[in-house]
Amino acid sequence: MNALEVKNLSKSFGNIEAVKNVSFAVPEGSIFGLIGRNGAGKTTTIRMMMNIFEPDSGEVVLRGTRVGQEFRNNVGYLPEERGLYKKMKIIDLLMFFAEIKGKKGREIKDQALSYLEKFSLLDRKSAKIEDLSKGNQQKVQFIATILHEPDFIILDEPFTGLDPINTNILKEIILQLKEKGKVIILSTHLMDFAERMCDHIAMINKGEIIMCGAMSELKKKHGKNNVTVSFEGDVSFVESLSYVEKVTHFGNSISVKMADEKDAQKLLAEMTSRQIVVNHFSTNEISLQELFVNHAGSEEVAAEKEVQYV
Amino acid sequence: MFNYRVLAILKRELRERVLSKSFIITTLSLPLIMALVLGLQYFMMTMEGDKDVHLIVACESSDVITKIEKVFNTRSWIESGDYTVSYQHATREDFSKLLEENKEKILDRKLTGVIFVPESALKDKKIELYAEGTKNITLERKLSSVMNEVFMDHYFKDRGFSAEDLQFTRQDVELSTYKITKGEMERETGGNLVLTYLFTFLLYISLLMMGTWIMQSVLEEKANRICEVILSSVDSRDLMMGKIFGSSFTGLLQMIIWLTPVMVVIGMKLPILPVGMLFQVDPLLMVYYMFNFLLGLITFVGLFAAVGAIFNNAQEAQGGVTPIMMLIIIPFLITMSLITNPINVVAGVSSMLPFASIIVMPARMTLTTVPVWQIILSIVVNIATILVIIPIAGKIYRVGILRTGKKPSYKEVLKWLKEA
Repeated sequence: MNALEVKNLSKSFGNIEAVKNVSFAVPEGSIFGLIGRNGAGKTTTIRMMMNIFEPDSGEVVLRGTRVGQEFRNNVGYLPEERGLYKKMKIIDLLMFFAEIKGKKGREIKDQALSYLEKFSLLDRKSAKIEDLSKGNQQKVQFIATILHEPDFIILDEPFTGLDPINTNILKEIILQLKEKGKVIILSTHLMDFAERMCDHIAMINKGEIIMCGAMSELKKKHGKNNVTVSFEGDVSFVESLSYVEKVTHFGNSISVKMADEKDAQKLLAEMTSRQIVVNHFSTNEISLQELFVNHAGSEEVAAEKEVQYV
Repeated sequence: MFNYRVLAILKRELRERVLSKSFIITTLSLPLIMALVLGLQYFMMTMEGDKDVHLIVACESSDVITKIEKVFNTRSWIESGDYTVSYQHATREDFSKLLEENKEKILDRKLTGVIFVPESALKDKKIELYAEGTKNITLERKLSSVMNEVFMDHYFKDRGFSAEDLQFTRQDVELSTYKITKGEMERETGGNLVLTYLFTFLLYISLLMMGTWIMQSVLEEKANRICEVILSSVDSRDLMMGKIFGSSFTGLLQMIIWLTPVMVVIGMKLPILPVGMLFQVDPLLMVYYMFNFLLGLITFVGLFAAVGAIFNNAQEAQGGVTPIMMLIIIPFLITMSLITNPINVVAGVSSMLPFASIIVMPARMTLTTVPVWQIILSIVVNIATILVIIPIAGKIYRVGILRTGKKPSYKEVLKWLKEA
């Protein structure tokens, strides 16, 4: 069942069509990835979902009804461009954010303190925001996003600016929230994270959805005749092989599009014969990164405007 | 109008503002500065050149000289020793020599001045003062008073006038003014003039200060992008309302802090008030004053908020805010003209015009009796102004607050109005 449906959203600014006829559905209890390059229209789409921008046309439907103030109170939104009141104390700021979502400050205080503890910020609860490091400010912003216990959580590029340890803490919390049945929409251009965390994705390019569906289905469909290899050595010869259609390089790994699925074994044999150390070899697999580059990276592909829903 | 979102924003604005260092400092320092300025002025007036004054009076006529000495000695400032005067007989030539001899002393400030009273002064009252600084008003006033008495007594001597007659002729005219009102007549003593100055000045300062504050706060929210987080929870309308009322209540609180001591002093007739001035403040006028002030705050704070939303930083906003500042500064200047002539057509008309009315009307009401219909009209005009201006400011705010990039032109801002 779908928790949230975005139906034919469009928005123009002057002559620029920022979002064109965007539709996608977010299933209950899932982590949904809104993926696209910078400036693709992700943030504008989210702003329309949040009612910050009035869409020119289209609507957002939440569990069957059009979204309104109720949705706003039931959603936690972490915008890409973060912002906090620099002069406020952490605890006061968290209370304020919960209050504008309709929570009583007193009810939410314990919750706020427990989140601060989780992010090792408890001893600084009375510090002013401006005295915190950028990473710590990010953490406060994240707590402010989820403190009022919303059912929907929209995170726009949540990992930027976090160190690996805090990135892990954040990931853990996101997964915990998913377990609690929350619907999470993750907008990002970091394919690695999207691939590891999202169940469903919508890929957006130049304001239009170019691909949408369950992650596993999409990878299966587009991974056909595809081989992913991690290796040590020089693999420049692969491109000249007759049964290879296309090679995409990712440093220590390559993704190879074959003419026929059966030729995969030939490729493996060729590589071992050339003394290449193969660390990982998998067939019928494509990384989200590659899927993304294939579809949104080149102008020609984008120009086809062929929307694929799986 | 006041849902929980507006209330949460209002509460935050109030707390952040009222507990801020700048609020506490300005609120407390303004009365201190005013007291200091007034005190300093008083100090200067009483102290400047009024102690350790040493004079030489040279007179061409020898019988007048004793008379001069006699009159000088009736004055308290001779008795107290603040002034010391030596008297001598001198012709014009003697005086030139005397002046030459004492020049050094005057320049060294051991001697304040030398006065020459020629024979002719007995007919035309013209005397001469030679000093380092000649524009010493207190000294001039004292000298004129003494010499006038001397000349009068000399002139009318042996003409059959009694001491009473002389006293009468010496005396200046004293003008007492009364303000005509529908009710009882009130004695005018300049007290209301002082109050008008005070009220107008506080109104002016407060409107500019609260306006500038909200503009900076909107600019800050825009600059650090917090507006996006807030706008995902509340409408721009709610955000603006919360901010406007937050600032307005802060202004109101500040005004109450400023005026309470003034009202207490006046109400209890404490002896620190200037002698001879009567201060009367009708409680109803104070209620009107505060209400009018609140209307003014809402109007101007709304305008300043919209300007903040248009621009990206304080420098850009400086240009945009000038026309709005003029809406406060021009009425302020009109009010100042009102003080020299309370029945003034420009002031009369502007006290019923949008924006100007907020500053001019309370001043008119303190100085003259304004017909009730004009007061009602001014309130109606002010409320109507708010009803017109706030939705427009709200539209500009709504579009502007999420807009970044280059400074928009007026044409673009007009387009926003259609867009929103």
